[in-house]
Amino acid sequence: MNFDLSDEQKVVSDLARQIFEGHASVERVKFIEREGDGFDRDLWSELAKANLLGLCIPEDDGGSGFGLVELGLILEEQGRRVAPVPFWATVVLGALPIAEFGTAAQRRQWLPGVCAGDVVLSAALNERGADDALRPLTTATRTANGWHLKGFKPTVPAAQFAQRVLITARQDDGRIGVFLLDPTQAGVVVEPVRATNHQPHAHLVIDTVVSADDRLGGPNGDGEEQLHFILERALVGLCALQLGVCGAAIEQTAAYTSGRLQFSKPLSTFQAVGHQAADAFILTEPMRVTMLQAAWRLMHGLPSRQEVLIAKYWASEGGQKVVHLCQHLHGGMGSDIDYPIHRYFLWGVQIETTLGAGSAQLARIGELIAREGR
Amino acid sequence: MDIGDSVEEATFRAEARAWLEQNAPHRDPTKRHKQSSTDTEQDEHAQACRNWQRVLYDGGWAGLTWPKRFGGRGGTPWQAAIFGEEQSKFEVSTGAFAVAHGMVAPTLMMHGTDEQRGYLDAMLRGDEVWCQLFSEPEAGSDLANIGTRAVLDGGEWIINGQKVWTSGAQHSEFAILLARTDPDAPKHAGITYFILDMNTPGIEVRPLRQITGVAHFNEVFLTDVRIPVANVVGEVNAGWKIAHTTLSNERALIGGGNTAWSIQELIEMARHYGRTHDPVVRQGIAKAHSRAAVLQYMGYRLRTSISRGEMPGVVASTMKLFYARHWAQTTGLALTIQGANGSLWGDSALDDGLWQQTFLGQYAVRLGGGTDEIQGNVIGERALGLPREPAADRDLPWRETRGSTR
Repeated sequence: MNFDLSDEQKVVSDLARQIFEGHASVERVKFIEREGDGFDRDLWSELAKANLLGLCIPEDDGGSGFGLVELGLILEEQGRRVAPVPFWATVVLGALPIAEFGTAAQRRQWLPGVCAGDVVLSAALNERGADDALRPLTTATRTANGWHLKGFKPTVPAAQFAQRVLITARQDDGRIGVFLLDPTQAGVVVEPVRATNHQPHAHLVIDTVVSADDRLGGPNGDGEEQLHFILERALVGLCALQLGVCGAAIEQTAAYTSGRLQFSKPLSTFQAVGHQAADAFILTEPMRVTMLQAAWRLMHGLPSRQEVLIAKYWASEGGQKVVHLCQHLHGGMGSDIDYPIHRYFLWGVQIETTLGAGSAQLARIGELIAREGR
Repeated sequence: MDIGDSVEEATFRAEARAWLEQNAPHRDPTKRHKQSSTDTEQDEHAQACRNWQRVLYDGGWAGLTWPKRFGGRGGTPWQAAIFGEEQSKFEVSTGAFAVAHGMVAPTLMMHGTDEQRGYLDAMLRGDEVWCQLFSEPEAGSDLANIGTRAVLDGGEWIINGQKVWTSGAQHSEFAILLARTDPDAPKHAGITYFILDMNTPGIEVRPLRQITGVAHFNEVFLTDVRIPVANVVGEVNAGWKIAHTTLSNERALIGGGNTAWSIQELIEMARHYGRTHDPVVRQGIAKAHSRAAVLQYMGYRLRTSISRGEMPGVVASTMKLFYARHWAQTTGLALTIQGANGSLWGDSALDDGLWQQTFLGQYAVRLGGGTDEIQGNVIGERALGLPREPAADRDLPWRETRGSTR
């Protein structure tokens, strides 16, 4: 047993930090927020050039074949800079499942493009009226031309930029299927929506037919297994982002409260302030160890359902507490959008609620431990 | 990163398990035993710890991570963790040696003379229990304010003062002691670290009966107690830094310890009281389970850093604080699950009142080894780099900080 990062993992982490720090400065993030569409394409191509988009895609598909722990390290660095790129959507929600389950044609069509930075992907996991992504309400009916998809998919990350969105649906034979949908095709309405963290999302209204070739893994692909695969990695990805968001927010808060004088001494030397900062640290360490544990187990094909839920519980519950503490300790500066700390608050809250907040994860953990014991 | 037993570790686990099967009685994981609360029960527990420690020693399993030159097995922190996990399934304890093995031994290995390291063998063999004479009535969180005096008289130091919150003093053969040797130096710079034979004349141990019903802690009065100069650890007046080694290990010991319950017991309790459908209880148990997982993984990190030869500093404080909160929250939950029965006590309560006792015992965990607030200070200063809180008495001679009455 060894909980240290390997030398190779440190290289990945350092490289990611270098790219995000170099290309997602506070000024740049502010600029994209103000002038752009919420997608920093320059940063995206830098990530492609550094081989970070394809780092965890198999070598046969044009990537470097690293695993989920390394992917988590990249996402942590993105979170530290709250950098506006659809990395989680493209790599975690889109590329990983295609790499794992895709037919040769599907892999060939999409993965090299992801590695090169030419393709944006996403997956539609939220369902209105059901809080459980494992029970999609969207339907897929077999037709002569393929599959007729019908349903509403709210708040799909980066859907307005995506070449393909993975749609989870209940088939007419009762099974679950995952389908590669072109959101620009006729019969799909893409309705951009504003999200808490200002990152691009869109609702999808779907009433269209996709070809039989666009079912993930072909006609025999196990949609149930695919959905679990996507969801577990989606959750761990969010945990990694949240770890970066919280880690950087605490560092900025420590620096701010140590530099600001009141009553002729640094704010942080008041225990009422210093202890809140220490509490934020105590909440971040569980996020780190649970995320790494879940990512490591998934990467090694070990049963990980509990570990993933535990990690997301901490990312949600601990994460929201950390960003609240950091926001509060910045006093009035926290509410000034010219100052960067508010973005960490907004990202922290967004990640908290995405795919189930803390209590939703606890309810699932409760079911699992009551059933399986420990 | 590699979480999980390696081939060597799996072999070690099997070997440990096989030896334990041969030498120790099984523990029933669903049945809890009342903590020893009477003096006789405490004496019996201490004796049982000595006996088991001797069995470990004779079997070659004592001092797993200690270097071989100190009589240990020379193993890795991971092996110690694995052995601890396996041992916890058996009805045995080495609790009486927590101070000796967890705090005194690492300190003597790092700072002791060869002669002082001679004590290691007896504590490993199970012959000698140690206690820690640090806290005083006026030196709690401000430990450096100790007022117990040590005055040199020929070849001996003469000690006068009072210590408090001393775990297991009544069972101990030896103690580590902090005393003031230079009252004219600033408070951190006039403290010396001693080894004290508890059979020396002039030591009076008075038990403190606690809210839990147990007398685990003691007051210790020291009147003209003589300590040979050879029993000074490190240099005279340089004891504060050595005390840090001990305290850091104490935090790692508490934070890395096992809780006295398992999540399975809480689930069984909820079933027993018909509370498994109460969503608040369900979420409470799930939270406790998630906290237990965090402590387990943090333990992996702690052992990784120890295996690199690092002092368990920030990680130990983080774990200790997290563990103390986990203890408080989970034992509170246990009483909630019991409903009206939660208010019962002793023989009238579930499991002979052990849950009530554990709930009330949270204060020992939250205060011992540095309070929650002291851990908060450590984390603020060392993990976050916050400036140290201004302290007016830091550079003044200790004597001048004590007020006009002294």
